[in-house]
Amino acid sequence: MIEIQHVNMVYPNGVGALKDINLTIEQGEFVFIVGTSGAGKSTLIRLIGREFLPAGGRIRVFGRDITKLRRREVSMFRRNIGVVFQDFRLLDNRTVFENVAFAMQVVGAKPREVRRRVPEALEMVGLTGKAKLKPLELSGGEQQRVCLARAIINQPSLIIADEPTGNLDPKTSLGIMDLLKNINIRGTTILMATHDREIVDRMKQRVIMLENGRIVRDEQRGVYSQDAH
Amino acid sequence: MLIRNIIYYFKEAFASILRNGWMSFASIAVVAVTLFIFGSFFLLNTNVQYVTDDIKEQVEIIAYVQNDLTAAETEQLRLQLIQLDKVKEVKYVSKEEALERLREQLGDLVAGYEEEGRNPLDDSFEVRTTIPEDIPEVAAVIETLPGIRRVDYGTDVVKKLFNFIAAVKWVGLAFMIGLAFTAMFLIANTIKLTVNARAKEIMIMKWVGATEWFIRWPFVIEGIILGSLGSLLPALGLTYLYNEAVTWAQINLYFLPLVNPDIILAPLVKLLLLIGATIGGLGSLFSMRRFLKV
Ligand SMILES: Nc1ncnc2c1ncn2[C@@H]1O[C@H](COP(=O)(O)OP(=O)(O)OP(=O)(O)O)[C@@H](O)[C@H]1O
Ligand SMILES: [Mg+2]
Repeated sequence: MIEIQHVNMVYPNGVGALKDINLTIEQGEFVFIVGTSGAGKSTLIRLIGREFLPAGGRIRVFGRDITKLRRREVSMFRRNIGVVFQDFRLLDNRTVFENVAFAMQVVGAKPREVRRRVPEALEMVGLTGKAKLKPLELSGGEQQRVCLARAIINQPSLIIADEPTGNLDPKTSLGIMDLLKNINIRGTTILMATHDREIVDRMKQRVIMLENGRIVRDEQRGVYSQDAH
Repeated sequence: MLIRNIIYYFKEAFASILRNGWMSFASIAVVAVTLFIFGSFFLLNTNVQYVTDDIKEQVEIIAYVQNDLTAAETEQLRLQLIQLDKVKEVKYVSKEEALERLREQLGDLVAGYEEEGRNPLDDSFEVRTTIPEDIPEVAAVIETLPGIRRVDYGTDVVKKLFNFIAAVKWVGLAFMIGLAFTAMFLIANTIKLTVNARAKEIMIMKWVGATEWFIRWPFVIEGIILGSLGSLLPALGLTYLYNEAVTWAQINLYFLPLVNPDIILAPLVKLLLLIGATIGGLGSLFSMRRFLKV
């Protein structure tokens, strides 16, 4: 599903964020990307979401080289993935409901469907009472959950999430992880960057560790740090 | 295009106008003010044109014939005149006709002359040129023809009038062009402000997978709505004011012919709406172009 070969990423200011990344992720996998702050987790997630292009190498998603997509194809590609952004990226002047609904309107969903599914998604992330509020009236954790609801609303076959539990208390975090796990069990591939040790250790999924822009560890049913073995 | 998409675009456009209340108001105001000035100039220019055409129509050369010419010589002269360059029309006015006209204008003042068989007037030709501006030149030529006693066309007045009309036209044109640039600048800036404020919004829409036209349409429709609303005010205002002005002029300036409101107002309103909608739509299209290249 995702195939990354010899990918390098250098930001315009010259910072080399990723070095020679090689990685294959199969359909239906649940993968954690871990590492210290600045290791390159977000950069990897954003490359897979085709937010920017790598300095070198190849990234194939759904069998297509996403570094070669044309502008319109980029839009189409993004419709097929659900993204939870580390900085949420919500539309500030729209309500929670409208933010989630937007992702459905983009793909031309029927208004009836929108009215039915958006409340369902908000319920799943525990935001039922907040549908009419604007993002800036929410806490960081609540905004993050709006972002998650938007990412799952179109039932994409791939979800990439950048610290979806970063701003949540342990209990809410576990709720979100249950949600992601359930989605994963139904066949959705999930790629999640995090430095939440507890969650990673509890989930027993594949763990890829980055350090200074390199993959230093990649194990099935792994844990956050090696010394925990 | 899906019907529900179209409904969505319009809903979005209206929602956005309400959401960005002050910006929307500013855009409408800018369009309204500039189109009001534009419309005023349009009315002014059309009327200046109308009045000058009317005046020009009335300008003619009167060439008085020497009173000892025979009928054949007069006919000869008429043929000569009509063959002159730039001459459109030559009309012979005998001194009897001239006196008759004078009497129609002045009434009893000239009553005595006819009965006593005294007619102090001359036979004359009324000469019109194809282009009224050629009158001074043609008059100079006619004056040199043998058999012509005197030429009259209100020399100085006509020359000055033509100069004045030309000046008014150029000044008006310069104003219109200047205004067009000012308007474009103001509107582009206002829209740029609104789009700048929404650069982030546009980016997010792209991250979520919206195609460019899906993002564009609501903005374009919003621009068209704002532009049309902006043109509605000057359209209504100018319609009211022009009707008032014409009514007033009919009473107080009855000698001044103004263009009939029924004829001029419909095209004006259409023109204003068209310009407003175009400026609004194209404005949003252009000013959001660079944000779409994400
Ligand atoms: N927009 C940017 N421009 C320049 N350099 C950047 C940019 N974003 C990130 N970097 C640099 O790239 C490196 C990797 O950053 P990245 O955001 O991928 O780390 P991260 O693992 O997600 O960290 P965190 O856990 O804090 O989110 C860092 O050294 C960072 O300074
Ligand atoms: Mg990060």
